[in-house]
Amino acid sequence: MISQFFVLSQRGDHIVFRDYRGEVPKGSAEIFFRKVKFWNEDEAEEAPPVFNIDGVNYIHVKVAGLFFVVTTMVNISPSLLLELLQRIARVTKDYLGVLNEDSLRKNFILVYELLDEVIDFGYPQTTSTEALKSYIFNEPIMVDAGRLPPLGPAAMFMQGTKRMPGTAVTKSVVANEPGGKKREEIFVDIIEKISVTFSSSGYILTSEIDGTIQMKSYLSGNPEIRLALNEDLGIGRSGSSTHDYRSSSGGGSVILDDCNFHESVQLDSFDIDRTLHLIPHDGEFSVMNYRMTQEFKPPFRVTALIEEAGPSRAEVILKIRADFSANVTANTITVQMPVPSYTMRASFELEAGAMGQTTDFKEGTRRLEWNLKKIVGGSEHTLRAKLTFSQESHGNLTKEAGPVNMNFTIPMYNASKLQVRYLQIAKKSKTYNPYRWVRYVTQANSYVARL
Amino acid sequence: MSGHDSKYFSTTKKGEIPELKEELNSQYKDKRKDAVKKVIAAMTVGKDVSSLFTDVVNCMQTENLELKKLVYLYLINYAKSQPDLAILAVNTFVKDSQDPNPLIRALAVRTMGCIRVDKITEYLCDPLQRCLKDDDPYVRKTAAICVAKLYDINAELVEDRGFLEALKDLISDNNPMVVANAVAALAEIQESSARPIFEITSHTLTKLLTALNECTEWGQVFILDSLSRYKATDARDAENIVERVTPRLQHANCAVVLSAVKIILLQMELITSTDVVRNLCKKMAPPLVTLLSAEPEIQYVALRNINLIVQKRPTILAHEIKVFFCKYNDPIYVKMEKLEIMIKLASDRNIDQVLLEFKEYATEVDVDFVRKAVRAIGRCAIKLDRAAERCISVLLELIKIKVNYVVQEAIIVIKDIFRRYPNTYESIIATLCESLDNLDEPEAKASMIWIIGEYAERIDNADELLESFLESFPEEPALVQLQLLTATVKLFLKKPTEGPQQMIQAVLNNATVETDNPDLRDRAYIYWRLLSTDPEAAKDVVLAEKPVISDDSNQLDSSLLDELLANISTLSSVYHKPPEAFISRVKAAPRADDEEFADAGEAGYSESPSQGVDGASPSSSTGTSSNVPVKQPAAPAPIPDLLGDLMGLDNALVPVDEPTALSGPPLPVVLPSTTGQGLQISAQLVRRDGQIFYDISFENGTQSVLDGFMIQFNKNTFGLAAGGPLQVTPLQPGASARTLLPMVFSQNVSPGAPNSLLQVAVKNNQQPVWYFSDKGSLHVFFGEDGKMERTSFLEAWKSLPDDNEFSKEYPNSVINSIDATIENLAASNVFFIAKRKNANMDVLYLSAKIPRGIPFLIELTAAVGVPGAKCAVKTPNKEFVPLFFEAMEPLIK
Repeated sequence: MISQFFVLSQRGDHIVFRDYRGEVPKGSAEIFFRKVKFWNEDEAEEAPPVFNIDGVNYIHVKVAGLFFVVTTMVNISPSLLLELLQRIARVTKDYLGVLNEDSLRKNFILVYELLDEVIDFGYPQTTSTEALKSYIFNEPIMVDAGRLPPLGPAAMFMQGTKRMPGTAVTKSVVANEPGGKKREEIFVDIIEKISVTFSSSGYILTSEIDGTIQMKSYLSGNPEIRLALNEDLGIGRSGSSTHDYRSSSGGGSVILDDCNFHESVQLDSFDIDRTLHLIPHDGEFSVMNYRMTQEFKPPFRVTALIEEAGPSRAEVILKIRADFSANVTANTITVQMPVPSYTMRASFELEAGAMGQTTDFKEGTRRLEWNLKKIVGGSEHTLRAKLTFSQESHGNLTKEAGPVNMNFTIPMYNASKLQVRYLQIAKKSKTYNPYRWVRYVTQANSYVARL
Repeated sequence: MSGHDSKYFSTTKKGEIPELKEELNSQYKDKRKDAVKKVIAAMTVGKDVSSLFTDVVNCMQTENLELKKLVYLYLINYAKSQPDLAILAVNTFVKDSQDPNPLIRALAVRTMGCIRVDKITEYLCDPLQRCLKDDDPYVRKTAAICVAKLYDINAELVEDRGFLEALKDLISDNNPMVVANAVAALAEIQESSARPIFEITSHTLTKLLTALNECTEWGQVFILDSLSRYKATDARDAENIVERVTPRLQHANCAVVLSAVKIILLQMELITSTDVVRNLCKKMAPPLVTLLSAEPEIQYVALRNINLIVQKRPTILAHEIKVFFCKYNDPIYVKMEKLEIMIKLASDRNIDQVLLEFKEYATEVDVDFVRKAVRAIGRCAIKLDRAAERCISVLLELIKIKVNYVVQEAIIVIKDIFRRYPNTYESIIATLCESLDNLDEPEAKASMIWIIGEYAERIDNADELLESFLESFPEEPALVQLQLLTATVKLFLKKPTEGPQQMIQAVLNNATVETDNPDLRDRAYIYWRLLSTDPEAAKDVVLAEKPVISDDSNQLDSSLLDELLANISTLSSVYHKPPEAFISRVKAAPRADDEEFADAGEAGYSESPSQGVDGASPSSSTGTSSNVPVKQPAAPAPIPDLLGDLMGLDNALVPVDEPTALSGPPLPVVLPSTTGQGLQISAQLVRRDGQIFYDISFENGTQSVLDGFMIQFNKNTFGLAAGGPLQVTPLQPGASARTLLPMVFSQNVSPGAPNSLLQVAVKNNQQPVWYFSDKGSLHVFFGEDGKMERTSFLEAWKSLPDDNEFSKEYPNSVINSIDATIENLAASNVFFIAKRKNANMDVLYLSAKIPRGIPFLIELTAAVGVPGAKCAVKTPNKEFVPLFFEAMEPLIK
């Protein structure tokens, strides 16, 4: 089982170090850090999450720029360890409100107390924030979250939009508000990460949605909750898996390939009315994860063109069209395109009246970069760039440039059409009316257009 | 509490310790608590605050749980170094274990179990006994784990006090958390014990399956992993288990899913109904694919497992190839694994899609990934003959981009494609030759040269092309030199004109006279002789038809694959190595190969295998397999491919000469007569007068005379081989013979972790070849030159880092007389250097040495007449330590 658990900063400093079995030789944290830092003598190459040095197995994840690591001497399930590491990070965040080097250091005693309950003699015991509450006695010390980059998927709600109370997601689930009274509220976030690959002719090669319904509850007394999804939600693809993306867009019903649920979810009536019953824990957790490859309308159409324009010159035209309704706005959009390695210069030409757009040519990585602050649904934007080469091209420009990669966040939009029809909280009294936040957000995972 | 914990890190002026001491003894609770926090803070940053032990322990008697926990944390850390003081805490522990608050009771047993001090352990038993039967499940689940802790410190105590039975009772507990911990503890105890302790019967099975539905995700993994050891009685039993486990596939925790997959795969082996199997495969596919939506770290683990699963049951994911297409933002380690699986799933049906992807990857930025993508195209060409042409056209497209490393990689795979489909695609040679000047990687060069030599008759200017390479012959790496040599010979045999004749002269001269490389020289001499004796024969040999190579994308051999599949969801399935190859934890009955694996640090990607470039011998390297080190588990059964190795050795079987009659103590049987069709062989390695012999005896239980005995040893750790012929007379029915076969050290050393296994083949004229393995003890290798001077011993001891020091207890060894022990050890070439007294213990310093000059510096501690000896050893070659400890055991008995 687990021999040691430790958290290292990006510079390799010990932030937390706990040895459960005393069987791993000294210096494991340093050995680990050296190996990860210089994997294959290539700083750019990331070390795999599981490796063995001199008989010690090191398993790690990176969360919030920190290394969460366990070591073990036996042949156990690495997925268990990886899940556990993620869970420890989440529980710690639940307690501390913010997860970073500063908050861990300020709260080291609480963290050690948590670790003793989470792992005993190397065996994971409980990672539920709710269950842990009865065994933990230290109070968290809050760090100032304002200037810190927020963590986790829910953090994206903070960007730009003023829709949400800013402190909600960086608030500890156990600490009391300064006023002494906790605000009764619950957040349900439908977070979708979409992956689309467009072929050079603009047609969709692969598309996939990885979605999760995330919940964070600050409700006192743990009332039961009913979460109703689309009535016509289907699960499991039927028939062959080779899709024809040109077929008419489906009859409107949402069909998931597969989904799984948090263990606290009761699915008794799920098959009948697609309703999830649960008593939410304290803390943040995924109620449901789902995956969909059914055809959906991608939020952006991306077209990219590279053409020779003289012996050692080329012109690039990037065009993006927002295929969603005008009352939705995407933000923090980045479009990147690798160009031939012998590109020396790039000059850009933005469309007339472009606002909040920046362009850059990254010489180190030979990429064009185009940033847009926001894109309103239905609009279209174009960027032209003139490239100057240091040599004549081989006449294979499309092979040497691209693919175009896009990053974006679209709040209050979800591509899958999966919806929370209602969120019902069992009433304790007539006046009990907690805040309910149901939020949607779509993010690009791997959004690629080939040349 | 006010302020921030980090203030405890602030350093005070001089005298930090006295200041803390004062605060710890303060009359104010809060001040004491703050002080303990400061102490813990100092401890976590590595400062030595052990001198405050008494003061901290004094704070232990408190009702304040927060403070109590802090003190316990401190105790765990320092009890080991202050065992006498730790005893001060015992009373409080025992009292706490009966506290009305269950949290305090649990905390007390949990902490006591973590303090690995014998004196404390004695006091732990009673509280533990009570807590195992506590009313509160939190206390019981903590006590269950505590049994495993105690077993680790003192296994006998656990057995004597009946804790194992108590643990087994907890399997029937009504709290699933308690069940899960009991299962975990029992599984761990079983791991370290050779005796059956935790057997899954049909009775426990039912209980575990019931608990499975209710316990936490972590408990589910413990239970599933224990269930995987259950052997179902028949297909119905197996189906029943699978039915109960299948709902776990829907779990959000990937570890639960993978553990469930493991059980289903294992039980599927027993299920006979093809419908059921097909249905299960269908059910497993979506959850396996869903694993790829998890964090990249988990994806990596999932992909390494899927890699194994698709080798065994390709149908499960045959239709899912799209999910393995690389995403733009996948980390490189995920991309590499996806590529590997795409090759495995590539079929005639999806190859167009797959090629489109590969082509795209081949123009990405990451060089390693690009190379692998190019290789992947070649491997698909070799695997799918109907797609070969399309693959080649993609490769040619890529060559045209003229990115140097892409071109070189393409040439390497095209060479393999030529071998797979001879006389089909040679028309592209001209295109390849265009890139000749830019080749700078040895493997690509060697491949190109092979192509030129192989098709010399079709390439008009083959001689010119080769000649251009010859100029730099002496500077080329061996790989390229060997290919140049062979290619030139091929050219000469195909076009015996003046130009090639001159070339061959130059090459042979270079390769025989000017080189230090024995492989190159030997090969050159063989060619030389062949060419000078019989050019026609040379043609037959050098230009012989080559065996067809095959697709190697299912590289793991089936026995290893099965072993790895039985280990799905464990580290073993991520490394693609059997557990004993990387787990060094010593069991009660240590195994010879329980050692660290030399290159276990490279748990990276399974690199794409490549076909060996063929050389003089056409039978060599018909597709080298992957470089995932395939270590054969040390099996006592005959090794089937030993014969291949035997024939490969140049000193073939040694004929039998003169017999020598011999007697002595009975030897261990290595080949029982039941296996040897009546012939029984007993043997042992022995050392006589500084020489190692194989003391071997034969008993003929057959009905006929056996003669013509020969013996051969497989490669082994020390390169031990027969030093002369085996001398056994023809053996009459019922007769026996014994002989001493002198052994020598050869260069044929087997790679990998050292072990003392000796694989032997014996044949005679009447019977088939017999194979057996014999396990020698390291002490026969202890040389007479192992004695060290006192000063050099001291110097050597100091110069070796502490990491190289290991120790082992021999609880059953009794030393009755120091002098007799010294004499005894000296007889086995373990030499006495010095001794000293430490309390009632005698400490002996000794040295020994094994071949290749590897020394062992030994410190042996024991009390005369009292059972138990401790042996500490320092050596520069750590990997021999387990063998050493094993060898010492009989010597100090």
